[in-house]
Amino acid sequence: MSKKKCVAMLLAGGQGSRLGVLTEKIAKPAVPYGGKYRIIDFPLSNCVNSGIDTVGILTQYKPLELNDYVGSGKPWDLDRFNGGVHILPPYQGQKGGDWYKGTANAIYQNLEFIARYEPEYVLILSGDHIYKMDYAKMIKQHIETNASCTISVMEVPFDEASRFGIMNTNPDGSIYEFEEKPKNPKSNLASMGIYVFSWDKLKKYLTEDEQKEGSSNDFGKDIIPAMVGAGETMMVYRFDDYWKDVGTVDSLWEANLDLLNPKIDLNLADPDWRIYSRTSSLHPQYIDENAKVENSLVTDGCHIYGSLDYSILFENVTVEQGASVEYSLVMPGAVVKKGAKVKYAIIAENVTVDEGACIGTEPSGEDWGITVVGADINIGKNATIGAKQMITKNVEEGEKI
Amino acid sequence: MRASNVAGVIFGNTRDLLLGKLTGIRSMASVPFGSRYRLIDFTLSNFVNAGITNIGVVTNGNYRSLMDHIGSGIAWDLDRKNKGLHIILPYETKGMGRYTGSVDAIKGSMDFIDRCHADYIVICESNLVANIDFESVVDFHIKEQADVTVVYAHGKSPEGQIETMITELENGRVVKGSFSKESVEDCDYTLGVTVIGRKLLKSLIEAASMEDIGSLTSGVLAKKLNVLKILGYRHNGFATVIDSPKKYFDANMSLLSSEVREDLFNSERPVFTKTRDDMPTRYGTKADVKNCFIANGCVIDGTVKNSILFRGVKVEKGAVVENSIIMQGGVIEKGANLKYVISDKNAVIGEGTVINGTENRAFFIEKNQIL
Repeated sequence: MSKKKCVAMLLAGGQGSRLGVLTEKIAKPAVPYGGKYRIIDFPLSNCVNSGIDTVGILTQYKPLELNDYVGSGKPWDLDRFNGGVHILPPYQGQKGGDWYKGTANAIYQNLEFIARYEPEYVLILSGDHIYKMDYAKMIKQHIETNASCTISVMEVPFDEASRFGIMNTNPDGSIYEFEEKPKNPKSNLASMGIYVFSWDKLKKYLTEDEQKEGSSNDFGKDIIPAMVGAGETMMVYRFDDYWKDVGTVDSLWEANLDLLNPKIDLNLADPDWRIYSRTSSLHPQYIDENAKVENSLVTDGCHIYGSLDYSILFENVTVEQGASVEYSLVMPGAVVKKGAKVKYAIIAENVTVDEGACIGTEPSGEDWGITVVGADINIGKNATIGAKQMITKNVEEGEKI
Repeated sequence: MRASNVAGVIFGNTRDLLLGKLTGIRSMASVPFGSRYRLIDFTLSNFVNAGITNIGVVTNGNYRSLMDHIGSGIAWDLDRKNKGLHIILPYETKGMGRYTGSVDAIKGSMDFIDRCHADYIVICESNLVANIDFESVVDFHIKEQADVTVVYAHGKSPEGQIETMITELENGRVVKGSFSKESVEDCDYTLGVTVIGRKLLKSLIEAASMEDIGSLTSGVLAKKLNVLKILGYRHNGFATVIDSPKKYFDANMSLLSSEVREDLFNSERPVFTKTRDDMPTRYGTKADVKNCFIANGCVIDGTVKNSILFRGVKVEKGAVVENSIIMQGGVIEKGANLKYVISDKNAVIGEGTVINGTENRAFFIEKNQIL
């Protein structure tokens, strides 16, 4: 193993339970995004574009599809002789083994992996954010400030700050206090869950944390406060481009529709910062004589005979004649049959929406929300599904939910 | 069929001169087709879908774009430790450095053919667009104990090709073969896919080469119909041999028919091609798109009808594109109006430019041209 300056560790084991039926069969980082991507494409592409070629992916929850998707790492140019991408599931040792108990414990269990590369810095990432970021700049700041740990932050509105881990900082950007979801926030600098550690410090604090009884073995709750408490140099790295946590149905929907918003700067077509993904060999999309396609993203393998407005269509989606899809995401392989209407909804992989069915409603009232149909589900003819529903099993013909 | 027993040879430069400026800068095999493909993708995929993974691509000249396209062969899963894709660069023959015909090209590929350890060789031209089940073609060849099997279709033959034989068959055997400069209606004609035993091929090529014969089909096979058992395998699906700019245009447009798409891009035998990391195609507020075949990476704010758009094409607001083929990276600026146009890669059609070709003769815009 030759030395690497920086090794990235990508936390991809979370269940993402707030995404409900969308993560019933797959881990959150494998959730489709933006017509042809998966969430994990963002941190992986950012790594490669930042010159980081050694990435450990920590998996635990429903890893099958994620493992398949990452494969040898070829689509991200991470199939390397030296370094490259490594899937790191929990394992058994001589004294038994354990599931990953928390984010910090997951890294702790893989200290050996990191040590093989004798890195100077370790970058900790998570697999549930949509953003384009040059980690090299963050590492550069980390080196220049001689920090033990650098945490990337962004300003959030003060009234939302109580939902985040908040960094209270001195004027030079050093952190004097970390507060997890404070009721009365003193600052609006929210942690983005991206950390650069100097390798020796990471090793030290992870090992100490393991010895502490009752620790939840979590970076935000345990490691960062311990380091702040011990007087380590902790710096924030400010980021002010597009960043979105896609941990909830609403935020996943929003982050997708952001791609259609000309005011939002999330250009996935930038040749200098490509977002790579594993693509299958599908024929180009066909837009029929009777189709109407506006304000939408459509990808390979789609057949459009109906109408689309403000929607994102993933691979191999068919929208039949007279059907309409508005303000919705339709994931790979789904079919929207004749005359069916889909509004403000997320239709997961391989769903069939049969003729005349209606899914979702336009925004109205406080109880309104995005409707989600889980993978492989069949929505019967003329069935009606209202707002904010989470459909987990087949819906019969004519049924109203 | 044991696919390990079969190797493929594809001629990358089939009749390069037929397509004028389209092949002025590239080989026939790498001519862009159908929004995201190159012509060779169809034949390469036919091989791979039949499990035949030992493939030589014979190049002659203008091969830079072909090499760039096929690379290590990874898009077809042909980057193998054993077998895989071999690019056979021109071999200095008769002091010319360029092949003068298929006999010459196969002779230049003899090293590959000698070392491939296959009993059967499938020889293909690169100007064929068809999804053919090569597995059943080879099975047929073996089961019927043919010396040679040619794949043929019924319909209007391509124009003046020495490698396209108009065949008369009796009980499946080719009994007469003729060649015509003009297209012939309602006939059986070969598609440039030939199965032959490796040893037989070698001896035929050696003999033909001594006699200075140029073409394997017209010079050798057509003259040995009595001696060799040459059988025809009929392909009933969509097939088109690209032999002229008009045929190129029509073949692209035929992808707007759902029958053709279903036949050519069937899910059992997918067509593979080199992938790029393009975004999905974005349709704007004023987009008006009808009856089009469109690749990823396009941004469409204007009107596009009955057209084929390749990857990364931009159609600005108020621009109109009808009955046209716009290749990768083309930009159609505001108010431009195109009818019956083929624009090669990265062409830019400036604001307000109006270009009208005709159904019989599409207007051609060269690569990187700015109008």
